[in-house]
Amino acid sequence: MSGLQTIIDNCQGIEIDRRKVVGIQITRNEVARTSETPTFNPWKLNLTMPARLRYNEARSLMEQLDVLDRNTPQVVTFGNTSCLSWIFRYQGTLAPSQISTMTVSSFIGNQLVLTNLPAINSPRVMFEPNDLIQIGNYTFPFTSTTQVTRGTGANVTITTNRPNIISGGVVGAGLTVGNACQFYMFCPNMPTYKLYPGGAQYSAGGTLIGNALVEFTGDFQLYEWVATA
Amino acid sequence: MAQNIPQVQNTGAIKSAEFVKLTIFNEYSNAANVTTHTFSSAYKNETIDGDLYLALGGLLAVGSQNRDLRVTAGDTNISLSGVSGNNIQVVLDTKIRGSEVEVWRGFYDDNDVLGNSYLRFTGIITNYNIQEERSGTDDNFVVTVSASSYKTVLSNRIAGRKTNEESWKVFNPTDTSMDNVYSIAGVQFDFGKEPTASRGGGGGSDGRRDGGRQQQR
Repeated sequence: MSGLQTIIDNCQGIEIDRRKVVGIQITRNEVARTSETPTFNPWKLNLTMPARLRYNEARSLMEQLDVLDRNTPQVVTFGNTSCLSWIFRYQGTLAPSQISTMTVSSFIGNQLVLTNLPAINSPRVMFEPNDLIQIGNYTFPFTSTTQVTRGTGANVTITTNRPNIISGGVVGAGLTVGNACQFYMFCPNMPTYKLYPGGAQYSAGGTLIGNALVEFTGDFQLYEWVATA
Repeated sequence: MAQNIPQVQNTGAIKSAEFVKLTIFNEYSNAANVTTHTFSSAYKNETIDGDLYLALGGLLAVGSQNRDLRVTAGDTNISLSGVSGNNIQVVLDTKIRGSEVEVWRGFYDDNDVLGNSYLRFTGIITNYNIQEERSGTDDNFVVTVSASSYKTVLSNRIAGRKTNEESWKVFNPTDTSMDNVYSIAGVQFDFGKEPTASRGGGGGSDGRRDGGRQQQR
């Protein structure tokens, strides 16, 4: 078991929060006006854990969570288990070999331009809305906000959900898509855990080796660690 | 002066970020010896007016600034993160008081690309504060600097020089106009009458004792 990844793999509910920093005012004649600050717009995931982990089987997990505490980020993914891999499944029509040939031509603002495109028919869909895109080894996934088809040009432009927050060079970098993308998250509220009787287990010799289930005191509110983006 | 900002015209939605520039003067006598710190609430480093504003500088908040038609004095506060940064060192180990502050607002287009930027506030740091907020196992530091606009600075300024030899020669060492002030200070004069040899003589009523009086300008 591996810290936050185990929590993701075993949680019973996920709330995804990608809301931006905005101000909203409604005038006296009911005209809405908004202002927005283009921020790093980090991923925020709220994970609810069931109280079903047996303590004696989860002791390593407890230790890893205690070591991570509220200030240590960890790379996690949703492609770890078949039970979760559908969440961010790639919805486009490209084969993995075709994806691996594409590289970034430029990424300015929220306009991601790809080049070295596969030779496929122009109507073929490359990305559907909400498809995850990771650039190089930067574990800060973006999503495509619109459907992107191949077209006939040498490049395609993807409008991403957030602007390019990566401070390093991205030109020429390859892509990872869908559930293979990785997130760099930490848990600023890291809940504590409570043991209560249940799930008794005995060794082959009949010795009681565990008699408690683990209940966390709250949800895991994961927050993307963008300080190293 | 009225400012034309096309990014906020004919639209109900604007995108903007704030940029703060702090210029610390390291030497009183050398205005070129400065250290500049820049912070922003933007998602990436941006260059405005030749200065690179850091997205990871730790800007937490910028206080409100008065906007009036006539010139009015206004103060503002700028909060910076004191966690894992050098901001505490900046206020404790530098000549932060008297530093110049500029607050800019930059406007973004629909593609999150920075367009024009406008200077909103110019002033100097008059005070700073480091606050530790510890509650249970939560421990945070916030550095706040207070800045006054130049209007406030000028209102509080006392300028001028004294009518004595020392003060008079600050601006012009060859000016001997006040060389005799010390010798005649306290002496009463009857103008038009032959001066007496001893100090304090005379007895006229129009004597002048202004050896230390300030001349306001």
